[in-house]
Amino acid sequence: MPLPDPDGVPLFAERPEWADVLPLEQYEDVNPIAPIFYTEEYKAATNYFRAIVKAGEKSPRVMELTESVIRQNPAHYSAWQYRYETLTFLLASTTSDSTPKGALPPLLAAELTLMDELAVQFLKTYQVWHHRRLLVSLTKQPSRELALIKRSLEVDSKNYHTWSYRQWLLSSFYGADENGREQDDDDEGETIEAREVWEAELDFVDTMLAQDVRNNSAWHHRFFVVFHSGGTEHEAEKERIFKRELVYAKQSISLAPSNPSAWNYLRGILTHTRTPFATLETFVKPYTVAQKSAGDAEKRDIVDLDNPPPSAEAELPCVQALEFLADIFETQGASEPGKENTEKAVELWKSLANQYDTIRKKYWEYRIREAHHGKEPRT
Amino acid sequence: MEPRPTPIDGFPTPTSKTQAETEAVLIKHIPDPASTSAPPALLKNAHMQFLVRNLIQGFPTRYISQDASQPWLLFWTVQAFSVLQVGLDPGNKQRVIDKIMTWQHPDGGFGGGPGQAAHLLATYASVCALAIVGKPGPKGGWDQIDREKLYNFFMSLKQKDGSFLVAHHSEVDVRGIYCLLTVATLLDIITPELIEGTASFIASCQTYEGGFASASHPFYSHGGTLLPPPAPRPALGEAHGGYTFCCLASWVLLQPYLAEASTPEPPPQIDLKNLLRWLVNMQGIEIELGGFKGRTNKLVDGCYSWWCGGAFALLEALGVGGIQNADSEEVPIDSGPGAGVWDDVDDGLFNRQALQEYILYAGQHPSGGLRDKPPKNADAYHTLYCLSGLSSAQHHVFPSSVRRQQLFDAWKTTDNPQDGLRKKVFGEILSWAEEEGSSHIVGGKENRLNATHPLTNLTITHTEGIASHFYGQKVPPRVLRAKPTADASAA
Ligand SMILES: [Zn+2]
Repeated sequence: MPLPDPDGVPLFAERPEWADVLPLEQYEDVNPIAPIFYTEEYKAATNYFRAIVKAGEKSPRVMELTESVIRQNPAHYSAWQYRYETLTFLLASTTSDSTPKGALPPLLAAELTLMDELAVQFLKTYQVWHHRRLLVSLTKQPSRELALIKRSLEVDSKNYHTWSYRQWLLSSFYGADENGREQDDDDEGETIEAREVWEAELDFVDTMLAQDVRNNSAWHHRFFVVFHSGGTEHEAEKERIFKRELVYAKQSISLAPSNPSAWNYLRGILTHTRTPFATLETFVKPYTVAQKSAGDAEKRDIVDLDNPPPSAEAELPCVQALEFLADIFETQGASEPGKENTEKAVELWKSLANQYDTIRKKYWEYRIREAHHGKEPRT
Repeated sequence: MEPRPTPIDGFPTPTSKTQAETEAVLIKHIPDPASTSAPPALLKNAHMQFLVRNLIQGFPTRYISQDASQPWLLFWTVQAFSVLQVGLDPGNKQRVIDKIMTWQHPDGGFGGGPGQAAHLLATYASVCALAIVGKPGPKGGWDQIDREKLYNFFMSLKQKDGSFLVAHHSEVDVRGIYCLLTVATLLDIITPELIEGTASFIASCQTYEGGFASASHPFYSHGGTLLPPPAPRPALGEAHGGYTFCCLASWVLLQPYLAEASTPEPPPQIDLKNLLRWLVNMQGIEIELGGFKGRTNKLVDGCYSWWCGGAFALLEALGVGGIQNADSEEVPIDSGPGAGVWDDVDDGLFNRQALQEYILYAGQHPSGGLRDKPPKNADAYHTLYCLSGLSSAQHHVFPSSVRRQQLFDAWKTTDNPQDGLRKKVFGEILSWAEEEGSSHIVGGKENRLNATHPLTNLTITHTEGIASHFYGQKVPPRVLRAKPTADASAA
């Protein structure tokens, strides 16, 4: 005897409009090992879901049934999959005469509204985000998504699905054409300039990093926006962008030096632009020694955009700076006959192994061996 | 000496605040050397009871959220038994086989439960669970896998860029690629056509940080046209431990094909140096007990013991770390039978001792099962991946050139047109061997776990069992290596 649903909605078995469906039990003849203790409500919904899938029914009531399953278990990918198939079937079979031009079919609009609610509620579920992708691919209206993602990141600022959905959206709809400008979109009846979207995106990253300069998801998004947006082919413009990013990374490091996200970004942009690490030797050095005494603090008043010094409260030396400087020395030493700089790198690695980053002792010792043997790992 | 906290540089942010809170909890789990001298114990009995409860009584209601992951619940449970060196009795084995076979989809592949759509992740978990409990013959599971339909299912998910959807109408995700390649390798159904372009796709998921992301995606103009090369193909999402393991394992599984392939384009490459740097940086510092995190500036979590800690063995297959295959004379690495001996010959690239301590001190729930971190509850997923991670930190399992040669020598030639390639794949997957006498077990031999295969996360015996069945080959017995001499150790 099924128990009534606590929210007052009767189970499917008690509803006359479902009387024609014979619910299908999950394990019919076997008493399964390792069962899950389902609630009656979940068991009921999934029994009807199995029956519907088996019958291949794609009707409006399937939307209600799959919603019930999804609300109880948002990771039920088959319910999502069947819901999408039903939705596209119903969209194709309903006439759109009554829908005003430019507006979405009511069914699709209703689905989007429901998804706006579920996206925030089931933030950590793959399927919620993938379903949105499928819907946006149908509506071709990406602009409203950016605002929703922003709201969702306010709840969970490092949510992997949310960030990758944002990147998918931008790369799927805002790639620049050969003029660097976007064609207008007939459905939305407005002209969107890719450039504006990407500039707004950079502001968005700035806001996120201002809230938390250690948010690695935001740093990754910055790299995506700056270097993977198709950008410019113009050399002068490339140079300006690189300089801007360099200043940004260095400023972020000076605020909070022991922030691996900022250092990884710095390394990333140098590698991406094939800029030698050695060009940053002057910047890095103050981070590799103990904090200066009060007398040196006056130097901080001199604004040097190229070489912002560590903040007064920085805990120095900074592990990432020692590593960076050692990398500079290693590269320099590799082309020297006497390998003087290699030994300078080795000294830094030893200090990391024995004092500043002891958990990675094995790795620093490996770096020493590699530098001495002069062999690179094969790829 | 109190371990140092992560520097905040007088600049607190939400990340540094949660980090500091976590460190405050973790530090309480580091035993005070003054008050205790007992070595840390792996609570094997408590974990066994946790697993038995899940297997026999069942999973509590909160596991409804994993109703579409029933193959995973079973795989995590039966594989955790294997790592704990426990086998199931024939009656329960049969019940597991019977349950798994209800998930096979009529059109091929396995779903997350009866009547659920086939899915790459569910297929991996089902086939791997069958590797543990199944056998040849009627009702044994192995011969009831419809391999032809499975292959067709795989092909139906294939995308132009070499990637795969995880299920129809679902997302592209490198976890699915790892699952597909593992299953296809074990069941001997890989073809060059199936994996064409897949290595390039994997390579495109590496981010500037060195680790790998969930997927990559090409650029489209607003009008919907695919932008041609050299348009960028960015990674979607940041470098992440789980995806990195899946990409790296896929990359290793694809090596035999890459070596055979004769395409005009240069073979895809990954940046191993940057990957190694990223991986070692995922290990938390002393105050975090040396556990692994899954992303830069995130918190340590027991499951990354496997996803990140386990990835180091895979790097050895690509020539990074590991000296055992350095020359034709095998270089033995033996630091003696004593537990807790950590000498210079041990060439692990991460801190194996610290990782074991994280799991033993913080990863175990006192009432059984393992977990992300204290004060969280234990769950089936973290129980397996903490145990597998612990196992990989205890044992040095590496691709042995000697073992590979034994397998090649024992290969029975078939008239299959792909015979040479199949031989190579078979030899590679089963070449992984444990260095005799090289295990380092924190807490003494009572804490010893079975070694697991770095690619499949099955035991080596189970990997051999299912692979030799589907390739129709006999696996030569393992010859115990002679004790190394003092001269050899010094080499
Ligand atoms: Zn975890």
